[in-house]
Amino acid sequence: MTGVDRGVTGRQPQAVRSALAVLQEVARAGAGVTAKEVADALGLPPATTYRLLNLLVGEEYLVRLPDLHGFALGAKVAGLAGVIAPARVPTAARRVLADLRGRMRAGVHLALVAGPVARVVDVDPDLPLADPSLVETHLHASAVGHLVLAEADDWRAVVHHPDRLLALTRETPSRGEQVDACLARVRAQGWAGQSGQLHEGVGCLAVPVRGTAGQLVAALAVSSARGAAPVEHLDLARSTAEQLGPLLD
Amino acid sequence: MRIDQLPLRSPVAGLRRRGLSMVEVLAQSVSALAPSAAVVAVPPFVMAQAGAATLPVLVGGTALVVLVGWCLTAFARRMAAVGGVYSYTAKGLGPGAALLAGWALVVGYAGIAVSALVGSVAYLVSFTGLDPPGPAVALVAVSVGLLATLTTVRGIRLSARVALALEVVSVGVVVAVLLVLLAAHDGGSGTGAAVVDGPVSAGGVATGLVLAVAAFMGFESAATLGVEARRPLVAVPRAVFWTPVVTGLLFVAAGVAQVVLLRAAPVEVLTGDVPIAQLADADGLGVLPRLLDAGIALSFFACVTGSINALARVLFSMSREGVLPAPLGRTHPRFATPAVALAWASPLLVVVPAVALASGVRARDVLAGSLTVSALGYVLAYVLAAAAMPVFLHRIGELTRPTLVAGTLAAALSAVVLVVAVAGASWSGSGAMVVVFVVAWLPGPVLWLVLRRRSPETLARVGVYDQATAGSLLPGQGVRR
Repeated sequence: MTGVDRGVTGRQPQAVRSALAVLQEVARAGAGVTAKEVADALGLPPATTYRLLNLLVGEEYLVRLPDLHGFALGAKVAGLAGVIAPARVPTAARRVLADLRGRMRAGVHLALVAGPVARVVDVDPDLPLADPSLVETHLHASAVGHLVLAEADDWRAVVHHPDRLLALTRETPSRGEQVDACLARVRAQGWAGQSGQLHEGVGCLAVPVRGTAGQLVAALAVSSARGAAPVEHLDLARSTAEQLGPLLD
Repeated sequence: MRIDQLPLRSPVAGLRRRGLSMVEVLAQSVSALAPSAAVVAVPPFVMAQAGAATLPVLVGGTALVVLVGWCLTAFARRMAAVGGVYSYTAKGLGPGAALLAGWALVVGYAGIAVSALVGSVAYLVSFTGLDPPGPAVALVAVSVGLLATLTTVRGIRLSARVALALEVVSVGVVVAVLLVLLAAHDGGSGTGAAVVDGPVSAGGVATGLVLAVAAFMGFESAATLGVEARRPLVAVPRAVFWTPVVTGLLFVAAGVAQVVLLRAAPVEVLTGDVPIAQLADADGLGVLPRLLDAGIALSFFACVTGSINALARVLFSMSREGVLPAPLGRTHPRFATPAVALAWASPLLVVVPAVALASGVRARDVLAGSLTVSALGYVLAYVLAAAAMPVFLHRIGELTRPTLVAGTLAAALSAVVLVVAVAGASWSGSGAMVVVFVVAWLPGPVLWLVLRRRSPETLARVGVYDQATAGSLLPGQGVRR
């Protein structure tokens, strides 16, 4: 943000309160609620409500449904909440993961994805990730993160400080154009692979797990301490991701 | 609409999504409007019509355009469209009116592209100080058109940046020239005063108003960047509203300066091709008149790229709906621009003026003719879009009293301007241009009538925009019963 900081002045505190109330009312009423219904429920003047709704849609916290009069929460709200609840993995999915671990000599991990948020929910007990929270917080430096960013319209709106990306290793894509190139590759090939971007000498590949409507619901990651992305496991990982899709949707 | 039925892909996928910054979106509107060319060229024309009422007419024209711009923001805040005003009209008045408005817009963008191309060539020739024969001028037009097309295929990002830079330079030159001329002004009065302070007639005021509105044509073209803009529901309405506001201030200020300057000038200067350049020449300003020529040539070039950009996106939108053949909806694999639509539209826009110039028609006549055709197209599109706004808001249950009043007023006043424009063009001997417009615009109504009989399901798709997809919603949220 630029400009002079004048603090929150005048009628702005009330506007902020009203905006949050509108957001909460859409969450409470459910997807498809109309502007008029929101205004009635909150007792706000219609013109004010419409303006606040348009503002929240502009910032992508809310989404206007294709009929143009219904509203729903946007994927960006997951970033507000910071968690994916409930972050439980069905037993059937855990069995599929265990089966895959028995068939390859590499670490197999699962991260659930909602909008711009990834949560590592099942780490390989034998070949664990060094630090799952790094994967979740530095999306530009991990294969799972690349899948999440490639799915977003504008990755710069998703990551924290897009102009000051942390270089965790010498391999980390920390400049904007490096990330652009990396994501273009991911979109073209349909999976992500990286070597040494998160930890020196550790490679990883991630394949998308998609729900029935095609949306990204999770990422299946295969990590290897041999430096390169373990592409020899790509086909097996992809077929497993197809099995996981219906279980996690 | 059930939220689990949302599509995975946007119907307008293929363009480079969410890449353009606020400034680049603004650049599209500014370049299609070509402010420096407009503020220099239009006020003398208005003076010749409106006489002593020139300033109120300039202010009135600006106010009407700002009002139309404000009406368009009601759409721009709610849907990210590629077809711009065409898609907006569809959401309010339905597919029939949308095709009428959409094809009028196509004629508008094409007409302005032709006149800007010719304008660019004319000022370029004036800059070099040569007097080349018709075929040579036509060759220059082809080269300029080719350059503009390549810029637009290469990507809106490059063309928007180039356009904005050119525009800033040329506005700077225009302001500098006007300030220098004002500083040198001795307060005297010349034969121009007879026109500048001339009698006011209702017809003159109305025609002046049409010209003033025509100066702003293209201001709404940022509305075609709904997919390509970052945060489109914020950036596009800002560009569509603030472009006419800021340009309007410049326009009125330049109008005041020119009233003062031309009052003191001989009447031949006022009615000449380029009054301000002639004044600058007469005052012996040395290099400034040449700079002014170069600046306006650049502004016109930016306007060519801006208009072609917008035109191709409207055609792209129509193709994605099935109204036009599917190949027009293909995008360039590397640059993600509507390359096929660009490749089809541009040659036509270059060949028409090139042939006219080669056969010896004066640049000024081509410019005036294409401008008239384009003005009719734009104003018709504005009338329909402004009328569509309150209907649209009523349909989605978000109509308020100010929006109802503004939409009705904007539509009614624009309709008056349209009628006056048609009548004025017929009186002033450019009635042929009205015929050209009607012929160029006929595909719109014809498409509508044909599709209504043959393929109503295609018509139902009219108005595609970058709608919500499965991935844009928070997963697992409750649904309203």
